[in-house]
Amino acid sequence: MRKYQDTTVRSTAMRRLSTISGTRIALFLVAVPLLLSLSLLLGPTGTRLPDLDSPVGKAIMTLRLNRLVMGLLVGAALSVSGVVFQAILRNPLAEPYVLGVSGGAGLGATMAILFGAVSAIPLSLPVMAFMSAVATLFLVYGIASRGSGGVPSVYSLILSGVIISAICSSLIMFLVSMASVEGLHNVIWWMLGNLQPAPANQRFVSALFIVSGIAGAWLLASRLNSLTLGREMAHYQGINADAVIVAGLLCATLTAATAVSIAGMIGFVGLIVPHVTRAMFGPDHRWLIPLAAVGGGTFLAVCDAFARTVLAPIEIPVGVVTALAGGPFFLLILQRKMKSAWIG
Amino acid sequence: MEQEALTFDKVKAGYKGRIVLDDLSFQVQEGEFISLIGPNGCGKSTLLKTAAALLRPVEGRVFLFGKDVRSMRPVSRAKLIGVVPQKVESPMAYTAAQIVMNGRTAASGPWRGLAEEDYVVIERSMIYTNVLHLKDRYFMELSGGEQQRVILAMVLAQEPRIIMLDESIAHLDINHRYEVLRILKRINREERMTVVLVSHDLSLSAEIADRLILMSDGRIVSEGCPEEVLVPDILGRVYDCELKVQRDPVTGTTHVSGILEGINSRSRIHNTVHVIAGGGTGIELYRRFALQGFRVTTGVLNGMDSDAEAARALGVDTVLEKPFSAIGDEAYQKASEMAAQAEILVLSDVPIGSGNLINLHLAQEALKAGKEVWIAEGINERDYTDGKQAAFTVQQLLADGARIWISLHDLMKELKGER
Repeated sequence: MRKYQDTTVRSTAMRRLSTISGTRIALFLVAVPLLLSLSLLLGPTGTRLPDLDSPVGKAIMTLRLNRLVMGLLVGAALSVSGVVFQAILRNPLAEPYVLGVSGGAGLGATMAILFGAVSAIPLSLPVMAFMSAVATLFLVYGIASRGSGGVPSVYSLILSGVIISAICSSLIMFLVSMASVEGLHNVIWWMLGNLQPAPANQRFVSALFIVSGIAGAWLLASRLNSLTLGREMAHYQGINADAVIVAGLLCATLTAATAVSIAGMIGFVGLIVPHVTRAMFGPDHRWLIPLAAVGGGTFLAVCDAFARTVLAPIEIPVGVVTALAGGPFFLLILQRKMKSAWIG
Repeated sequence: MEQEALTFDKVKAGYKGRIVLDDLSFQVQEGEFISLIGPNGCGKSTLLKTAAALLRPVEGRVFLFGKDVRSMRPVSRAKLIGVVPQKVESPMAYTAAQIVMNGRTAASGPWRGLAEEDYVVIERSMIYTNVLHLKDRYFMELSGGEQQRVILAMVLAQEPRIIMLDESIAHLDINHRYEVLRILKRINREERMTVVLVSHDLSLSAEIADRLILMSDGRIVSEGCPEEVLVPDILGRVYDCELKVQRDPVTGTTHVSGILEGINSRSRIHNTVHVIAGGGTGIELYRRFALQGFRVTTGVLNGMDSDAEAARALGVDTVLEKPFSAIGDEAYQKASEMAAQAEILVLSDVPIGSGNLINLHLAQEALKAGKEVWIAEGINERDYTDGKQAAFTVQQLLADGARIWISLHDLMKELKGER
């Protein structure tokens, strides 16, 4: 079709077609720093900054900051991974667990812990977790494509993912039941999920993986929008659908596996944060991915602040807080806004 | 200057282990409005998928404006050809505007994102298809017609030079169907957009298209202007049923419809047909005769034969012999009495061996009684008796006045014409 020459039309078309609510974004941008500073202030003795002049206070502050960063990274990773899986599989139940990614990463990490690799070789935990997650993804993808001849259908992907996931968790349980008392404690503690800062080099590598995974997913954002109309329609629009699917799955696996390796199995975030973000801001992935990253990161950081303070000096696993505290809150939002997330 | 927009050059294409398009060649000129017609499963959708490179041809090549579609980058291909599928669904709550934006995605690239020009094109195609007022409504909550127009806007936002629609208007009510057609016709005229419309509505196709392409079994049966293609004889053969083609003397439009008179009228004389079949050769005969209002009887068949099963399912009176055994006297007598009630006797292309050779005597009896007897052609290929007895008997039957039938379609026409 002919291009418009009329410049007045040109400048307003963009604004008229804009679909994101400015007020909600503004509220979000105000709430995030507030919540993050709150989680920095929360301590076992009350809500205040520790004495920064004393070495102890400094140490406490560093610890809190480190945990905040961990929470942000892991929360962002799990949320974005959930967003991408849900878009590619066109399924609201998709999350890192569904394709066996978390299960595979968990199995790798369990083996690394129980067979003593963690203490012997540096970085073995995240590398093992990531490698076994990718291996699981390939396995799931391979089985699914064999079943449907060539390119796997969404249903065969989900089905083989769930099955492989179940096999992984059985293997983990088997390994745990065979483990020594000391190994058992380590594994259980890791599996419950916690945001104890990992060693510095591991943290750096993990941050690199997660940030590049999220950036990769964001680059795919508008293609993910097209892909939700189905692979065929995306192809007609000039999108290399299969390449987008593979790239998206790899980005999502990278972020999810890294998160699992540094923080263990933290459930709930990868499933619910994408839905709530979608309910608040709509399903356009160009906005959804960054908003889910920031929102999910903040959510997990705040949950962790509660986890380490509510019953201090005992620390509750953060996974418990995410589900117990976040659950009712998110249910309330979804109940009122479900229509703006998924229809059908 | 006229340019070839879409060219199929001896294309063979299909799905795993199943070839649908068989040595297909045709051209579409730029600016043409083509309607692709043909019965279900004849390969229309496969043709569309092959044209848009979703399916790779096994042999032959597809050209878009002179370039091989396989060597094209997806983005360049999408600028030449856009496809509106039968139905598009999005599980997520996208607004209509967000759906239309997808049309610009490939062109904008991952780094740049949508620019102002893209939004202008998006808005323009939404105005064109009359959906701008729906921009903030959820796509999945729109009515079928509105959804179809939004999808059309999305494909138009791609700014393709050919647009193909895969029965996209079939589910629309008459108002929205004509609205979409008016939009298409307008773009076709004003923007010289080439349109290929797959449709089941022959009259509608005749009304709107410059040229019709009629497909059957993966081949092109006929192409040309509506008057050339919509001929009762060709259509009857392709759709395997009788169709009426009427030309409006005032507007010159062509109207195609099926014939319902036979089914609706109750006064019709119901002739009885006795069918000699076996091994699955009778199923289609039973079905067609029953549909046309004949009373059908059949026999002798062996129990457990697929024809026996079909006859039972269709409520056809049947004389049965035990499974896998030669036809005995008792069964033959029953069949003989049954065939005596019928006005017409039809022999399917059932293979004849020593076990069922006796069935041919039913035909001899019928001829003697002055009844019509129809025999499927090609007895020599299916005669498994010693010394070609069946072929010999058939020769005699033909000499005595039995007639040969070749296609079921012609047989039906003959039998109905008789009355």
